[in-house]
Amino acid sequence: MSEHNRLISRLASRNIFRNTRRTFLTVLLIACSLSALLFSDALIRGSLQTMVKVSTETFLGQAQIHKPGFRESRDVDIYIDDTKTLYKTLDGLTEIQAYSPRTLSGGMFSSSENVSSGMIIGINPEQEAQVSKLKHVMQQGIYLSGKSSEILIGSELAALLEISLGDRLVVTVSQAHGGELSQALFRISGIFKFGDRTLDSQMVFINLAQGQSLLNIRGVHEVAIKLQSLVYANDKNHALWQSLNNDTWETLSWMALMPQLSGILAMVDYSTWIIATIMFILVSLGLINTMFMSIYERQNEFGILLAIGTRPQQLFWQIILEGGFIGLISVALGSVLGGLGTWWGASKGLNYMQGLEMAGTTFNEAIYLVADTGHFIALCLSILLITIIACIYPAIHAARLTPAHAMRKSL
Amino acid sequence: MTTVIETQNLCRDFGAGDTLVKALKDNNLIIEKGEFTAIIGPSGSGKSTLLQLIGGLDSPTSGEVILDNKNISHMSGTQLSDFRRDHIGFIFQAYNLIPVLSAKENIEYIMLLQGISADQRAHRVKNILHEVGLQGMEDRFPAQLSGGQQQRVAVARAMVSQPSIILADEPTANLDSKTGAALLDMMKELNEKEHMTFVFSTHDPMIMQRAKRIIRLVDGKIVDDERRD
Repeated sequence: MSEHNRLISRLASRNIFRNTRRTFLTVLLIACSLSALLFSDALIRGSLQTMVKVSTETFLGQAQIHKPGFRESRDVDIYIDDTKTLYKTLDGLTEIQAYSPRTLSGGMFSSSENVSSGMIIGINPEQEAQVSKLKHVMQQGIYLSGKSSEILIGSELAALLEISLGDRLVVTVSQAHGGELSQALFRISGIFKFGDRTLDSQMVFINLAQGQSLLNIRGVHEVAIKLQSLVYANDKNHALWQSLNNDTWETLSWMALMPQLSGILAMVDYSTWIIATIMFILVSLGLINTMFMSIYERQNEFGILLAIGTRPQQLFWQIILEGGFIGLISVALGSVLGGLGTWWGASKGLNYMQGLEMAGTTFNEAIYLVADTGHFIALCLSILLITIIACIYPAIHAARLTPAHAMRKSL
Repeated sequence: MTTVIETQNLCRDFGAGDTLVKALKDNNLIIEKGEFTAIIGPSGSGKSTLLQLIGGLDSPTSGEVILDNKNISHMSGTQLSDFRRDHIGFIFQAYNLIPVLSAKENIEYIMLLQGISADQRAHRVKNILHEVGLQGMEDRFPAQLSGGQQQRVAVARAMVSQPSIILADEPTANLDSKTGAALLDMMKELNEKEHMTFVFSTHDPMIMQRAKRIIRLVDGKIVDDERRD
């Protein structure tokens, strides 16, 4: 750095501390804006990650396998027959942590007091426990043990049917291969509560073998998958999807199964930048105001500097540097504050959305903030850039001053 | 003698229409190298305006200003800045030092703009501080100096880059008579030693006493030009 540039830097750095209160307030404004931005970005990411986690871990699974055509029609006749080959394939894939086969059908539930309709899902209790939270959301009674006539019912459905543990429930379904009606009598062995209205008011779970028997099928309609990492589910081009998609199996990740949620995820970056743009405008206006106040106060001094030989462009760069220094201090403070807030939110978690439903997902656990390092740095650099850009207008104003006009007090 | 300042038909108007004020009217003036000149006149007579135009701090409405054989009337902002830096030293009524720079840094400022080496700057600062009697005060900031000391720093700043012209606008107006007289004696001594051209705008009888030439302005027009040899 040349001696002259050092002089301009020295002038700029000393000038920003001439009115410490004003500089402090400006720095605080920018730093708080930045920290709020960093915090909200991490909060949005954390919320979405929680939504994905809740959605996939509650019942959906991170991916599902069906026979092609089942998802569109929900026809009980469309099921995966050759489960042996499928399970062997799944067992051979290292990316898969666990999977749970299910039978799915609509049906009628009749208690001694009431009648309702909903979904009857046949599951392997042990395998299901590794994929969904069913085992962990039992409110009353016990989880399925594999015995016949066991049935788990959602809390809201139980209330509607006015039944409790041990009560009888008749389930009527339409069988595969011809649509014959089939009925079975169950005794309520457990009542679950996911905290999701749809699941709690419309679903019952029975043992897989009984589900297959009730529907008169040998295979399964669905296999829910839990992956070793959610990264695989988010990568559409991963080899895993090619190996699990053919004429017999259609495998979709949660992104395809819940397009509304993946749509929100895709919007995260945009929404952060929209919030950021609003913040940038506010920060810029605040800084322009501060710089103009500072310039008007020092107008006589600028006149002196120009009179004794400072070039207009040197004055321009001095103002830009002053803004740059304010930006640097603000970004340092803002990133520390934002970083600490994010760290706190990431380690403690926030419970403020508990029980709220959004995009088909009920938040039933705390939101842990998630910081994206690239985004964190980009936002900090953007604020720094904005503070510098915001100083251009005041700097041009200062550089265009004529010494005689600026120094009204003297000469 | 060498002409260092020349004005030709110099006019400066402010405002327009009914509010038009003719601050300077068709003034022709020649100042030679080494002169110690005072421009005097009542308030509003155009002394400061004339000094501003001579110093390239304002542009004339019409007419020319020629300094060191260069016509500065049509120079760009950057050209004027460079010209002022290399040819003119300013001393202002209200000292007008840069408050965030120490006495030494204020004095050094113009030399830094000129790209003078650190050694040479240090040497010149040391000498000028000695000449203005401020040894040991080089690291003080303007707020830590008295009015007289600040004006001495301003004189040192104006002279250290060895310009051919020093323009001083009421340099003693804010000083007590003793300090003002001492400062004027110092400037007179520097004028005689360094042959710099001094032009004052003033009401101060002490300056008028010491000036070799007195130019009187009335209503924007030079009405008297008295030389005292």
